[in-house]
Amino acid sequence: MNFPVWDLAFGAGLLMALVAGLHVFVSHFAVGGGLFLVVTEIRARRKKDTELLEWLKKHSKFFVLVTVVFGAVTGVGIWFTIGLISPTATSNLIHIYVWAWAIEWVFFFLEITAALLYLYGWEKLEPRLHEWYGWVYFVAAFASLVVINGIIAFMLTPGAWIENHRFWTGFFNPTYWPSLVFRFCICLALAGIYALITASVQRNAALKARIVRWGALWTVPSLVLLPLLGRWYIHKIPHDLWMSARGAVPVATDSAWAACVLLGVTLLLALVALIRPGRLHLAFSLAVALVALGAMDSFEYVRESVRKPYVIVKYLYANSVYAAAMPGDGGFDMDNINQAGVLKTARWVNIRTLTKDNQVAAGREIFRVECESCHTANGYRGMRQEIMKRRWDHATTRAMLGGIYLMHNGAMPAFAGSDDELSALAAYVDTLAPSPPPTMGKVDGKTVYENDCSMCHRMTASDQMFTELPKDPQAAADALKDLTTLFPVMPDLKLSDQEREALAQWVNRVRAALPAGPAAAEQKGGE
Amino acid sequence: MIDPGMIPTPDPNPLPAPYWVLKLLLVVTFFLHILAMNFMLGGAALALAARWRRKTNAFGNRIFVDVAKKVPVLMAATITLGIAPLLFLQVIYGQYFYTSSILLAWPWFLVIVLLIAAYYGFYFVANRGEKRPRGTGTVMLSSVALVLLIGFIYTNNITLSQTPERWAAMYFSGASGWRLNLGEPTLAPRYLHFMTAAIAVGGLLLTMIAWANWKRDAEYAKAIFQFGGKAFMYATMAQFVVGMWFLVSLPRDLRMLFMGDNPAATGMMMFGIAGAAVSIFLMSGALRKESVKTAALGVTGLTALVILTMSEMRDILRDAYLKPYFHPHEFAVKTQWSPLLLFLGLFVAGIALWAAMMLRYGFGKKAGTAK
Repeated sequence: MNFPVWDLAFGAGLLMALVAGLHVFVSHFAVGGGLFLVVTEIRARRKKDTELLEWLKKHSKFFVLVTVVFGAVTGVGIWFTIGLISPTATSNLIHIYVWAWAIEWVFFFLEITAALLYLYGWEKLEPRLHEWYGWVYFVAAFASLVVINGIIAFMLTPGAWIENHRFWTGFFNPTYWPSLVFRFCICLALAGIYALITASVQRNAALKARIVRWGALWTVPSLVLLPLLGRWYIHKIPHDLWMSARGAVPVATDSAWAACVLLGVTLLLALVALIRPGRLHLAFSLAVALVALGAMDSFEYVRESVRKPYVIVKYLYANSVYAAAMPGDGGFDMDNINQAGVLKTARWVNIRTLTKDNQVAAGREIFRVECESCHTANGYRGMRQEIMKRRWDHATTRAMLGGIYLMHNGAMPAFAGSDDELSALAAYVDTLAPSPPPTMGKVDGKTVYENDCSMCHRMTASDQMFTELPKDPQAAADALKDLTTLFPVMPDLKLSDQEREALAQWVNRVRAALPAGPAAAEQKGGE
Repeated sequence: MIDPGMIPTPDPNPLPAPYWVLKLLLVVTFFLHILAMNFMLGGAALALAARWRRKTNAFGNRIFVDVAKKVPVLMAATITLGIAPLLFLQVIYGQYFYTSSILLAWPWFLVIVLLIAAYYGFYFVANRGEKRPRGTGTVMLSSVALVLLIGFIYTNNITLSQTPERWAAMYFSGASGWRLNLGEPTLAPRYLHFMTAAIAVGGLLLTMIAWANWKRDAEYAKAIFQFGGKAFMYATMAQFVVGMWFLVSLPRDLRMLFMGDNPAATGMMMFGIAGAAVSIFLMSGALRKESVKTAALGVTGLTALVILTMSEMRDILRDAYLKPYFHPHEFAVKTQWSPLLLFLGLFVAGIALWAAMMLRYGFGKKAGTAK
């Protein structure tokens, strides 16, 4: 709205996921791995294990090359990327937390200096002093996690900050502590996992075995603890948001499953490595790291998906529209845009007035400012794919866009703008896919459900579609004639007679067999 | 001319400290960043030049290896010191900076990729050292080229961020983000102004290395001193031409700021020119008298002062470019006292700890002596 939009054909979200997904895997290692270095050094000296110490020197070089170069630069890279993709959110986070970022910078500076001196000091410094650099490094690295964690957690659970806009309220927000402990646990696990990589290239089998066992002491307990900490974390996330990962949003739910399964597989592989620790192969250690990367990124993805439709919950939507008006917001809040129209409000549009002839072009502009932060025309989360899959015709698309805020547990913000602008958006979106051929022959109720109902409704016994629709097929088919009288917020879909009958019959057929399911029960509780 | 309604609104959250505090932090941390960048890039470029001249200069290869070893650390300093000005830039000038970045999105994003490649290249060269010199020249050349490219992208973005009147035409001719700000008349001289400074400051790095080696290996120290000192002198002389080109490429009203219209800016300009001239004479004398300390301390100190002045002039120029659009007095300010004080406290403590780390590293008990 306030800024131009980078037209990234393959999807802005994908680029963000790539940069952030790789960065977190290294940045958490940078914290846990730092503690690992200094503790392992002390242990090796105490046990007079010179072989272990020699390995640790090489490992610390690997550590610096991975964290100080790739980790630090991709960290800046996230900043670059969010500034390009989500400038309003970036600007807000910068302005709300200037001093937190500045404090993090101080720690970052100390961290980098200590890491380099630790690496270069191996031969030069007396052991105690060398270890001191290791401690300085770890404390500074941990402190930078302490800071950044406040900002990341704030985006998901800003808590009372929404009312009082106070720095510390937002910083020590409801998920601050579980997130910090959870992330630190990941840091410790990653310290052991990365150690497997440099251990695996050691020729000395006995030494390799010692490192693998020592690494497992870091990895295994942390991985076992993570699910418990995860429960605490989830407990602090508002229930309605968390529902997205419990079935309401397919990708969030799938990622939550993936996070759990991959966490389990990581643990399993870490244990398998202990069977023959002296023969650990590089390929195996890389496999462990890859699975751990998958687990970690799945977790981050869940966190980001349950936050939808917001980028800062209850404050800023993912498409840079403010949830509520406030002084100096430039008019980019939901109410104002609804009133004044998006084409009149948004800064970077070329068409200010809708006419009969510029519908599609104006719709394209609206798509860019309202949808492109997450969607593409024909790529990642592409509209073409969505429409073709569901075989929407123009009227359906128009009706559906009016109710997008109901879809997928409210994962998307409502359309902001006038009714005419909504029609223009529908006209543009409609051009992205060829119009569906008229349905031939028998209409299948299940297909109707999947194409037209499943964005908002779910196949659980408690869903209103299955509880409220009359049992009598004719009455049900009649009730489906006008969805808005059935339930005022529903999109005004016009189903054909055949479709209504087929749908009513299908609902009756599946209704009995539907699972109540934990998700269903919880959803009811959440309402 | 741009539709004034298109310039993004400043962030709705008030500034968390008075404007001047943020501005001061921006200029000072930018100065530190650009100083580190100059050492890094200039050092790497001169190392490369020394290697090319290894047939005529007996120490060519040794200079290359010696300087190359320092480049990764200087790169770490450049990046780390770059974070703070990037933060304060976004606090004050975010509405311009995000916009220009988005217009140049792909090159701007690629900075990260190029930087990782360049950085690993520098580490590769530093680690290979004398032992396995094969390929190090090529890698060094590639890394230097990448850093030069990154600098060019930065110049493109910064110039675009302060010329909003170019934005609309650019954006509405395509938003794919594959473009640069090549139509900007000051682009080439401004870029060369920064890169030439890097060569000069790289020369100062060499004089410092010479100083450190003065007692240990006089012959080598003299060679690197001559090489670095001359590089400083020639680059600074070239700067008179490049700087003049930069000045005349500026729009007239902005140029006149430094030529009388703004007394402070004019004074800084004169100080910068005089400082550069004096530093050339100082260096020339130091080279003749082999007074390495004068070069490593005196000329470096003076040059640092000149660069600090230039950083402030750069800021004055930016505000002059943005004058029609940028009204800092309109910023809402609500000082966040406790986080601000915490930052200042940690900043001071951090500097102390940093100094302790450097000192203990230099003077602390050494391995093998602790018996």
